[in-house]
Amino acid sequence: MNLRIQVIVAVIIILALIVILNMIRKKALELKYALAWLAVGVSVLILDVFPGVMRWLADFMGIEVPANMLFFFGFCFSLVLIFILTVMISRMSVRLKELAQELALYEKRESDKKK
Amino acid sequence: MKKLIIIPAYNESENIEKTVQAIEKEAPDFEYVIINDCSQDETKRICEKNHYNVVNLPINLGIGGAVQTGYRYGYEEGYDLAVQVDGDGQHDPGFLKSMAEYLTEQNLDMVIGSRFIRKEGFQSSGVRRIGIKYFTVLIQMLTGQKITDPTSGLRMINRDVMKIFAYDYPKDYPEPESVVAILRRKKKVAELPVIMKAREGGVSSISPKKSVYYMIKVTLAILIEWIRK
Repeated sequence: MNLRIQVIVAVIIILALIVILNMIRKKALELKYALAWLAVGVSVLILDVFPGVMRWLADFMGIEVPANMLFFFGFCFSLVLIFILTVMISRMSVRLKELAQELALYEKRESDKKK
Repeated sequence: MKKLIIIPAYNESENIEKTVQAIEKEAPDFEYVIINDCSQDETKRICEKNHYNVVNLPINLGIGGAVQTGYRYGYEEGYDLAVQVDGDGQHDPGFLKSMAEYLTEQNLDMVIGSRFIRKEGFQSSGVRRIGIKYFTVLIQMLTGQKITDPTSGLRMINRDVMKIFAYDYPKDYPEPESVVAILRRKKKVAELPVIMKAREGGVSSISPKKSVYYMIKVTLAILIEWIRK
Protein backbone atom coordinates (compact mmCIF):
# COMPACT_ATOMS: atom_id res chain seq x y z
CA MET A 1 0.00 0.00 0.00
CA ASN A 2 1.50 3.35 -0.91
CA LEU A 3 1.39 6.46 1.17
CA ARG A 4 -1.02 8.31 -1.11
CA ILE A 5 -3.86 5.81 -0.77
CA GLN A 6 -3.20 5.61 2.98
CA VAL A 7 -3.68 9.36 3.30
CA ILE A 8 -6.82 9.36 1.10
CA VAL A 9 -8.41 6.57 3.17
CA ALA A 10 -7.46 8.30 6.44
CA VAL A 11 -9.04 11.56 5.27
CA ILE A 12 -12.26 9.79 4.21
CA ILE A 13 -12.50 7.93 7.52
CA ILE A 14 -11.86 11.03 9.58
CA LEU A 15 -14.48 12.97 7.61
CA ALA A 16 -16.96 10.13 8.14
CA LEU A 17 -16.23 10.08 11.88
CA ILE A 18 -16.74 13.85 12.06
CA VAL A 19 -20.08 13.53 10.25
CA ILE A 20 -21.20 10.77 12.64
CA LEU A 21 -20.12 12.71 15.73
CA ASN A 22 -21.83 15.82 14.43
CA MET A 23 -25.05 13.88 13.84
CA ILE A 24 -24.89 12.53 17.39
CA ARG A 25 -24.37 16.08 18.65
CA LYS A 26 -27.46 17.23 16.71
CA LYS A 27 -29.41 14.23 18.04
CA ALA A 28 -30.00 13.02 14.48
CA LEU A 29 -28.31 9.78 15.47
CA GLU A 30 -28.55 8.09 18.84
CA LEU A 31 -25.17 7.39 20.42
CA LYS A 32 -26.39 3.90 21.32
CA TYR A 33 -26.88 2.98 17.67
CA ALA A 34 -23.90 4.95 16.36
CA LEU A 35 -21.38 3.10 18.52
CA ALA A 36 -21.00 0.24 16.04
CA TRP A 37 -20.25 2.70 13.23
CA LEU A 38 -17.74 4.61 15.33
CA ALA A 39 -16.03 1.29 16.14
CA VAL A 40 -15.83 0.42 12.44
CA GLY A 41 -14.37 3.83 11.61
CA VAL A 42 -11.73 3.61 14.30
CA SER A 43 -10.76 0.03 13.34
CA VAL A 44 -10.35 0.89 9.67
CA LEU A 45 -8.32 3.94 10.66
CA ILE A 46 -5.97 1.75 12.75
CA LEU A 47 -5.57 -0.74 9.89
CA ASP A 48 -4.88 2.17 7.51
CA VAL A 49 -2.25 3.86 9.67
CA PHE A 50 -0.57 0.57 10.66
CA PRO A 51 -0.73 -1.71 7.58
CA GLY A 52 1.47 -4.19 9.45
CA VAL A 53 -1.44 -5.02 11.72
CA MET A 54 -3.54 -6.13 8.77
CA ARG A 55 -0.73 -8.23 7.28
CA TRP A 56 -0.09 -9.88 10.65
CA LEU A 57 -3.79 -10.59 11.19
CA ALA A 58 -4.19 -12.05 7.68
CA ASP A 59 -1.12 -14.20 8.23
CA PHE A 60 -2.46 -15.35 11.57
CA MET A 61 -5.76 -16.40 10.05
CA GLY A 62 -4.11 -18.08 7.10
CA ILE A 63 -5.45 -15.64 4.51
CA GLU A 64 -2.96 -15.00 1.70
CA VAL A 65 -4.21 -11.64 0.44
CA PRO A 66 -4.88 -9.16 3.28
CA ALA A 67 -7.57 -7.42 1.17
CA ASN A 68 -9.64 -10.63 1.18
CA MET A 69 -9.67 -10.51 4.95
CA LEU A 70 -11.10 -7.00 4.80
CA PHE A 71 -13.85 -8.14 2.41
CA PHE A 72 -14.63 -11.09 4.66
CA PHE A 73 -14.84 -8.99 7.82
CA GLY A 74 -16.77 -6.26 6.06
CA PHE A 75 -19.31 -8.79 4.80
CA CYS A 76 -19.73 -10.42 8.22
CA PHE A 77 -20.12 -7.06 9.91
CA SER A 78 -22.74 -5.92 7.40
CA LEU A 79 -24.78 -9.10 7.82
CA VAL A 80 -24.76 -8.85 11.61
CA LEU A 81 -25.71 -5.19 11.46
CA ILE A 82 -28.58 -5.81 9.02
CA PHE A 83 -29.84 -8.65 11.18
CA ILE A 84 -29.78 -6.48 14.31
CA LEU A 85 -31.69 -3.80 12.41
CA THR A 86 -34.33 -6.38 11.41
CA VAL A 87 -34.73 -7.38 15.05
CA MET A 88 -35.08 -3.73 16.01
CA ILE A 89 -37.68 -3.07 13.30
CA SER A 90 -39.73 -6.04 14.55
CA ARG A 91 -39.64 -4.74 18.09
CA MET A 92 -40.48 -1.21 17.06
CA SER A 93 -43.39 -2.28 14.88
CA VAL A 94 -44.90 -4.18 17.83
CA ARG A 95 -44.46 -1.14 20.05
CA LEU A 96 -45.88 1.17 17.40
CA LYS A 97 -48.94 -1.06 17.03
CA GLU A 98 -49.54 -1.11 20.78
CA LEU A 99 -49.07 2.64 21.00
CA ALA A 100 -51.56 3.25 18.18
CA GLN A 101 -54.14 0.93 19.78
CA GLU A 102 -53.66 2.51 23.19
CA LEU A 103 -54.06 5.99 21.73
CA ALA A 104 -57.17 5.07 19.72
CA LEU A 105 -58.85 3.46 22.74
CA TYR A 106 -57.87 6.40 24.98
CA GLU A 107 -59.35 8.91 22.53
CA LYS A 108 -62.49 6.79 22.33
CA ARG A 109 -62.92 6.81 26.13
CA GLU A 110 -62.29 10.57 26.27
CA SER A 111 -64.85 11.36 23.56
CA ASP A 112 -67.40 9.04 25.25
CA LYS A 113 -66.94 10.94 28.52
CA LYS A 114 -67.88 14.21 26.86
CA LYS A 115 -71.23 12.85 25.68
CA MET B 1 -74.85 -10.85 28.70
CA LYS B 2 -72.92 -8.16 26.83
CA LYS B 3 -72.29 -9.06 23.21
CA LEU B 4 -70.01 -7.07 20.93
CA ILE B 5 -69.71 -6.98 17.15
CA ILE B 6 -66.32 -5.81 15.90
CA ILE B 7 -66.38 -4.26 12.44
CA PRO B 8 -62.88 -3.70 11.04
CA ALA B 9 -63.18 -1.03 8.35
CA TYR B 10 -60.56 0.18 5.93
CA ASN B 11 -61.91 2.37 3.12
CA GLU B 12 -65.42 0.98 3.50
CA SER B 13 -67.37 4.19 2.88
CA GLU B 14 -69.56 2.38 0.31
CA ASN B 15 -70.56 -0.45 2.66
CA ILE B 16 -70.32 0.76 6.23
CA GLU B 17 -73.83 2.24 6.46
CA LYS B 18 -75.40 -0.91 5.00
CA THR B 19 -73.39 -3.06 7.40
CA VAL B 20 -74.50 -1.12 10.48
CA GLN B 21 -78.14 -1.01 9.30
CA ALA B 22 -78.10 -4.78 8.80
CA ILE B 23 -76.70 -5.25 12.30
CA GLU B 24 -79.27 -2.96 13.91
CA LYS B 25 -82.06 -4.81 12.12
CA GLU B 26 -80.91 -8.43 12.37
CA ALA B 27 -78.82 -8.53 15.54
CA PRO B 28 -80.51 -6.01 17.85
CA ASP B 29 -79.26 -7.55 21.09
CA PHE B 30 -75.65 -6.99 20.05
CA GLU B 31 -73.66 -3.80 20.50
CA TYR B 32 -71.11 -2.94 17.85
CA VAL B 33 -67.85 -1.04 17.48
CA ILE B 34 -66.33 0.03 14.17
CA ILE B 35 -62.54 -0.01 14.10
CA ASN B 36 -61.63 2.54 11.45
CA ASP B 37 -58.13 1.48 10.39
CA CYS B 38 -57.04 4.98 9.34
CA SER B 39 -59.14 4.89 6.16
CA GLN B 40 -58.17 7.27 3.36
CA ASP B 41 -61.75 7.72 2.19
CA GLU B 42 -64.91 9.08 3.81
CA THR B 43 -65.31 6.23 6.34
CA LYS B 44 -64.49 8.39 9.35
CA ARG B 45 -66.79 11.23 8.28
CA ILE B 46 -69.68 8.85 7.58
CA CYS B 47 -69.27 7.22 11.02
CA GLU B 48 -69.26 10.58 12.78
CA LYS B 49 -72.20 11.93 10.79
CA ASN B 50 -74.30 8.91 11.82
CA HIS B 51 -72.98 8.92 15.40
CA TYR B 52 -71.74 5.35 15.03
CA ASN B 53 -69.71 3.82 17.85
CA VAL B 54 -66.27 4.10 16.26
CA VAL B 55 -62.63 3.81 17.32
CA ASN B 56 -60.31 5.66 14.96
CA LEU B 57 -56.78 4.28 14.66
CA PRO B 58 -54.18 7.02 14.13
CA ILE B 59 -52.14 4.86 11.72
CA ASN B 60 -53.05 1.97 9.43
CA LEU B 61 -52.40 -1.30 11.29
CA GLY B 62 -53.84 -3.82 8.84
CA ILE B 63 -56.64 -6.29 9.51
CA GLY B 64 -54.93 -8.09 12.43
CA GLY B 65 -54.06 -4.94 14.32
CA ALA B 66 -57.54 -3.49 13.71
CA VAL B 67 -59.42 -6.57 14.91
CA GLN B 68 -57.10 -6.80 17.91
CA THR B 69 -58.04 -3.22 18.80
CA GLY B 70 -61.65 -4.41 18.82
CA TYR B 71 -60.80 -7.33 21.12
CA ARG B 72 -58.98 -4.97 23.49
CA TYR B 73 -61.98 -2.66 23.46
CA GLY B 74 -64.30 -5.59 24.16
CA TYR B 75 -62.12 -6.89 26.96
CA GLU B 76 -61.67 -3.50 28.61
CA GLU B 77 -65.37 -2.65 28.35
CA GLY B 78 -66.35 -5.94 29.98
CA TYR B 79 -68.04 -7.76 27.09
CA ASP B 80 -68.77 -11.48 27.49
CA LEU B 81 -68.43 -12.38 23.84
CA ALA B 82 -67.16 -10.73 20.69
CA VAL B 83 -67.64 -11.49 17.03
CA GLN B 84 -65.93 -10.11 13.98
CA VAL B 85 -68.20 -8.97 11.14
CA ASP B 86 -66.39 -7.61 8.11
CA GLY B 87 -67.35 -4.14 6.94
CA ASP B 88 -67.63 -5.17 3.30
CA GLY B 89 -71.06 -6.80 3.50
CA GLN B 90 -69.85 -10.42 3.18
CA HIS B 91 -71.09 -11.48 6.60
CA ASP B 92 -74.81 -11.71 7.26
CA PRO B 93 -75.58 -10.55 10.84
CA GLY B 94 -78.64 -12.80 10.79
CA PHE B 95 -76.43 -15.74 11.80
CA LEU B 96 -75.08 -14.07 14.93
CA LYS B 97 -77.97 -15.02 17.20
CA SER B 98 -77.64 -18.74 16.51
CA MET B 99 -73.85 -18.52 16.79
CA ALA B 100 -74.14 -16.88 20.22
CA GLU B 101 -76.65 -19.50 21.38
CA TYR B 102 -74.41 -22.29 20.14
CA LEU B 103 -71.38 -20.78 21.92
CA THR B 104 -73.14 -20.44 25.26
CA GLU B 105 -75.15 -23.68 25.17
CA GLN B 106 -72.22 -25.86 24.15
CA ASN B 107 -69.86 -23.91 26.45
CA LEU B 108 -67.47 -23.26 23.56
CA ASP B 109 -64.55 -20.84 23.35
CA MET B 110 -64.87 -20.07 19.65
CA VAL B 111 -67.54 -20.54 17.00
CA ILE B 112 -66.53 -20.17 13.35
CA GLY B 113 -69.12 -19.43 10.69
CA SER B 114 -68.25 -21.86 7.90
CA ARG B 115 -69.21 -21.60 4.24
CA PHE B 116 -68.24 -25.18 3.51
CA ILE B 117 -70.43 -27.29 5.77
CA ARG B 118 -73.64 -26.93 3.76
CA LYS B 119 -71.82 -25.47 0.75
CA GLU B 120 -74.42 -22.75 0.26
CA GLY B 121 -73.96 -19.14 -0.82
CA PHE B 122 -70.71 -17.59 -2.04
CA GLN B 123 -68.07 -20.32 -2.11
CA SER B 124 -65.01 -18.26 -3.14
CA SER B 125 -63.08 -19.06 -6.33
CA GLY B 126 -61.77 -22.54 -7.15
CA VAL B 127 -58.13 -21.66 -6.53
CA ARG B 128 -58.95 -20.12 -3.18
CA ARG B 129 -60.97 -23.14 -2.16
CA ILE B 130 -57.94 -25.33 -2.79
CA GLY B 131 -55.85 -23.02 -0.59
CA ILE B 132 -58.47 -23.15 2.17
CA LYS B 133 -58.69 -26.96 1.91
CA TYR B 134 -54.91 -27.11 2.28
CA PHE B 135 -55.10 -25.19 5.57
CA THR B 136 -57.92 -27.44 6.75
CA VAL B 137 -55.70 -30.49 6.17
CA LEU B 138 -52.63 -28.84 7.72
CA ILE B 139 -54.52 -27.80 10.86
CA GLN B 140 -56.11 -31.24 11.13
CA MET B 141 -52.69 -32.91 10.92
CA LEU B 142 -51.27 -30.68 13.66
CA THR B 143 -54.20 -30.38 16.05
CA GLY B 144 -56.42 -33.32 15.16
CA GLN B 145 -59.44 -31.08 14.66
CA LYS B 146 -61.14 -30.47 11.34
CA ILE B 147 -61.85 -26.79 10.67
CA THR B 148 -63.64 -26.64 7.32
CA ASP B 149 -63.31 -22.85 6.97
CA PRO B 150 -60.11 -21.76 8.74
CA THR B 151 -59.97 -18.48 6.79
CA SER B 152 -63.47 -17.37 7.77
CA GLY B 153 -63.49 -13.92 9.30
CA LEU B 154 -66.90 -14.50 10.88
CA ARG B 155 -65.75 -15.81 14.24
CA MET B 156 -67.28 -15.48 17.67
CA ILE B 157 -65.19 -15.83 20.83
CA ASN B 158 -65.85 -15.80 24.56
CA ARG B 159 -64.17 -13.57 27.14
CA ASP B 160 -61.33 -16.03 27.81
CA VAL B 161 -60.19 -16.00 24.21
CA MET B 162 -60.82 -12.25 23.99
CA LYS B 163 -58.26 -11.77 26.75
CA ILE B 164 -55.71 -13.89 24.88
CA PHE B 165 -56.30 -12.13 21.54
CA ALA B 166 -56.30 -8.67 23.12
CA TYR B 167 -52.61 -9.05 23.88
CA ASP B 168 -51.44 -11.57 21.28
CA TYR B 169 -52.88 -11.53 17.78
CA PRO B 170 -51.21 -11.93 14.38
CA LYS B 171 -50.68 -8.79 12.34
CA ASP B 172 -51.77 -9.90 8.89
CA TYR B 173 -53.90 -12.83 7.67
CA PRO B 174 -54.66 -13.73 11.28
CA GLU B 175 -57.50 -16.26 10.95
CA PRO B 176 -55.88 -19.70 10.39
CA GLU B 177 -52.93 -18.94 12.67
CA SER B 178 -55.05 -17.74 15.59
CA VAL B 179 -57.33 -20.80 15.37
CA VAL B 180 -54.25 -22.98 15.85
CA ALA B 181 -53.14 -20.78 18.77
CA ILE B 182 -56.51 -21.35 20.44
CA LEU B 183 -56.65 -25.09 19.73
CA ARG B 184 -53.15 -25.51 21.11
CA ARG B 185 -54.32 -23.95 24.37
CA LYS B 186 -56.97 -26.70 24.55
CA LYS B 187 -59.83 -24.29 23.87
CA LYS B 188 -63.04 -25.65 22.42
CA VAL B 189 -63.67 -24.58 18.84
CA ALA B 190 -66.67 -25.54 16.72
CA GLU B 191 -68.17 -24.48 13.41
CA LEU B 192 -71.67 -23.55 12.38
CA PRO B 193 -72.86 -23.43 8.76
CA VAL B 194 -73.41 -19.92 7.40
CA ILE B 195 -74.11 -18.37 4.02
CA MET B 196 -71.75 -15.63 2.90
CA LYS B 197 -72.24 -13.14 0.13
CA ALA B 198 -69.74 -12.00 -2.46
CA ARG B 199 -68.32 -8.67 -1.32
CA GLU B 200 -70.52 -5.74 -2.33
CA GLY B 201 -67.73 -3.26 -2.88
CA GLY B 202 -64.03 -2.66 -2.22
CA VAL B 203 -61.35 -5.24 -2.97
CA SER B 204 -60.06 -8.33 -1.18
CA SER B 205 -56.88 -7.86 0.82
CA ILE B 206 -55.43 -10.96 -0.88
CA SER B 207 -54.56 -10.18 -4.50
CA PRO B 208 -53.21 -12.99 -6.75
CA LYS B 209 -49.69 -11.61 -6.31
CA LYS B 210 -50.01 -11.68 -2.55
CA SER B 211 -51.49 -15.18 -2.46
CA VAL B 212 -48.06 -16.84 -2.74
CA TYR B 213 -46.84 -14.77 0.19
CA TYR B 214 -50.08 -15.59 1.98
CA MET B 215 -49.68 -19.37 1.61
CA ILE B 216 -46.04 -19.35 2.73
CA LYS B 217 -46.53 -16.89 5.58
CA VAL B 218 -49.61 -18.57 7.02
CA THR B 219 -48.09 -22.07 6.71
CA LEU B 220 -44.96 -20.95 8.57
CA ALA B 221 -47.02 -19.07 11.13
CA ILE B 222 -49.13 -22.17 11.81
CA LEU B 223 -46.05 -24.37 12.19
CA ILE B 224 -44.33 -21.85 14.48
CA GLU B 225 -47.51 -21.41 16.49
CA TRP B 226 -47.65 -25.17 16.90
CA ILE B 227 -44.11 -25.45 18.35
CA ARG B 228 -44.52 -22.43 20.66
CA LYS B 229 -44.37 -23.13 24.35
